[in-house]
Amino acid sequence: MLGGDVKIAVASLRRSKWRSVLAMFGIIIGIVSVVTIVSLGEGMKKQIVGQINRLGNDLITVRPGKVVSRDNKGNITKVNIASNVGFGAGSLSERDYDVIKNTPDIGIAVPISLVSANARIDDRQYDSGYIIGTNQDLPSALSQKVTYGTFFTSNESKKRVAIVGRTVAEEFFQENVPTGMTFNIHGQEFVVRGVFDKFETSPLGLSPDYNRAIFIPYEVGRDLTGGNSQLNQVLVRPKDPSQTGTLISSLNARLLDSHDKQNDFTILKQDENLAVTSDILNLLTGFIAGIAAISLIVGGVGIMNIMLVAVTERTREIGIRKAVGATNHQILRQFMIEATVLSVVGGVAGIILSLICNYTIRVSTDLQPAITWQIFLLATGISLIIGVIFGIAPAAKAASRDPIEALRYE
Amino acid sequence: MPIITLNEISKLYGFGDATTVALDEIDLSIESGEFVAVMGPSGSGKSTLMNIIGLLDRPTHGAYTLGNNPVARLRSNQRAKVRRDKIGFVFQSFNLLPRLNVLENVAIPLTYKNISLVRRLKRASVMLEQVGLGDREYFMPRQLSGGQLQRVAIARALINDPSIIIADEPTGNLDSSSSRVVMELLSELHKSGNTILIVTHNPELTRYANRVVYMHDGSIVHDERTPIGEVPRLAKKVMNLFPRKTEEDDLAGISALMKILPSKDAAKKLRKNIKPRRTKKSSTKKKGKR
Repeated sequence: MLGGDVKIAVASLRRSKWRSVLAMFGIIIGIVSVVTIVSLGEGMKKQIVGQINRLGNDLITVRPGKVVSRDNKGNITKVNIASNVGFGAGSLSERDYDVIKNTPDIGIAVPISLVSANARIDDRQYDSGYIIGTNQDLPSALSQKVTYGTFFTSNESKKRVAIVGRTVAEEFFQENVPTGMTFNIHGQEFVVRGVFDKFETSPLGLSPDYNRAIFIPYEVGRDLTGGNSQLNQVLVRPKDPSQTGTLISSLNARLLDSHDKQNDFTILKQDENLAVTSDILNLLTGFIAGIAAISLIVGGVGIMNIMLVAVTERTREIGIRKAVGATNHQILRQFMIEATVLSVVGGVAGIILSLICNYTIRVSTDLQPAITWQIFLLATGISLIIGVIFGIAPAAKAASRDPIEALRYE
Repeated sequence: MPIITLNEISKLYGFGDATTVALDEIDLSIESGEFVAVMGPSGSGKSTLMNIIGLLDRPTHGAYTLGNNPVARLRSNQRAKVRRDKIGFVFQSFNLLPRLNVLENVAIPLTYKNISLVRRLKRASVMLEQVGLGDREYFMPRQLSGGQLQRVAIARALINDPSIIIADEPTGNLDSSSSRVVMELLSELHKSGNTILIVTHNPELTRYANRVVYMHDGSIVHDERTPIGEVPRLAKKVMNLFPRKTEEDDLAGISALMKILPSKDAAKKLRKNIKPRRTKKSSTKKKGKR
């Protein structure tokens, strides 16, 4: 019976093709926006999860500012987005780095310090990346290989050498392997020692895109900025991965001491990093998808409008159907199914269009949107629900028609 | 045993001073297998009566028994089911759905009986054969003549095998030869046992009926039984007064006929004298001219 009703609905929609397509337009746009945004969010999460998993869960990140709030047991209760976006930056100093470095059980402690300077080759300036001051343990902290050349060693901490990311090599040096090439920072000449393997980027992640970074020894970087460096992160790994928890506690205690009990720093494990990023991403995608969902409501209103017109136009048909024995319920059902078919067909068209959108985004940007079957299900479900909700009023109007009045309708 | 029994059926429209009486305490009983023609001038309440008998409309007062069941106060969904199972409608303007083909149009009533699409179309096809349109199954209504359209409408009315066929001026939009074909078809149905009610302005067509009911101002003013094939006495008068040329002549003839007939009140008195006197009468009823 339902199949028959759907057939009738499809047939009646096909009879007024243009009107049906226009009625679906709102739903199509709504579904495309929601699916694209959610799949972008999912894709980003996937990339970040991949990156974090690769780094290993014993990597501890010490960051300035209070990024998260914790309960007494140390579980994250709240993510403070404002401090993530930058308001909380700048509370880690070299002194903190020394405190961290000298904590027992520390395997490696790697400072990440953004040097506010520009790299130049003759008249060419590199503006689209960063210069990061760090130490010799960075490759092991980030589990990243140097493809060409070698990273600087502890003996070279005062030498003007640099290891660059892949994008820097291509865009700034315009070479695949710029080892041996020189460039200037603040008039001082640096030599490229190596090129990092391509970093997996994670848009909206907590760390910058290292492919665009020039890594120089920390102390050299500090001297470039007049001896006053601010730490953006300190990456720490324990000697023994099983000691991660203990190390975090002792780091916390020591840093609190050095900050006069001021809790203005954040120590995160990788899984917590993931949770923080996911929280931010969920909030962002939820917010944008919410805005996009408004277009779905507009789409629903479009369908309701068209269905109301259809009910008025087909008043006589309603009268005839009632005269030959259709009950109010059967008329209601017929028009509800019609509205739902309209909406679901719009939803399916929207899904197909969003696949095309996703493909376009994949090939033309660094973003890797991920469409999962849950997103498909969500989109279909949403369009089904919209069809039902916005189909009720026109269908009820049709069902309540008096057969005599309806038969007289011209 | 009457299949249709109407007791003091009234239909009023409007309120207070603006009340219009479309049907005024109609008493009518129709036996199973009768072919009843209803005649009367425009506004006499013929269509309202048909709509109430066909359960498309609800009477304001009175009792209506269909078969053995009181149906005047049924809810709209229950009335729809009775319409579906027991009554077939044929309208003057055919009332086919223009966007469905002939076969689909005929099959519509079965849609509401939860019958599968294939079976619906098969039965519709058989029905179309019966009305002589087996070769027009996939035609669209706009491709058929008026007579053919009405035959399609009759096929649709018959598909649920109803015991009562209500035809409201089925030949109103047809030429005389098409009218004859349609009436012959209805006559065939009558012979096979169906009860047929037909509203017509054409006295000539009453020869197919075995009973003619004349209405005026919402009342039945004359009720005449005749052998099938003969035009009843009053209808003959109409034909003689205005030899049929057009539909207008029919209407003029019927209006003239009503002048010959006893007045509405006189007719009522006459009927009351014939039948046992009613004891209960609605005192709140308001009357007016339609």
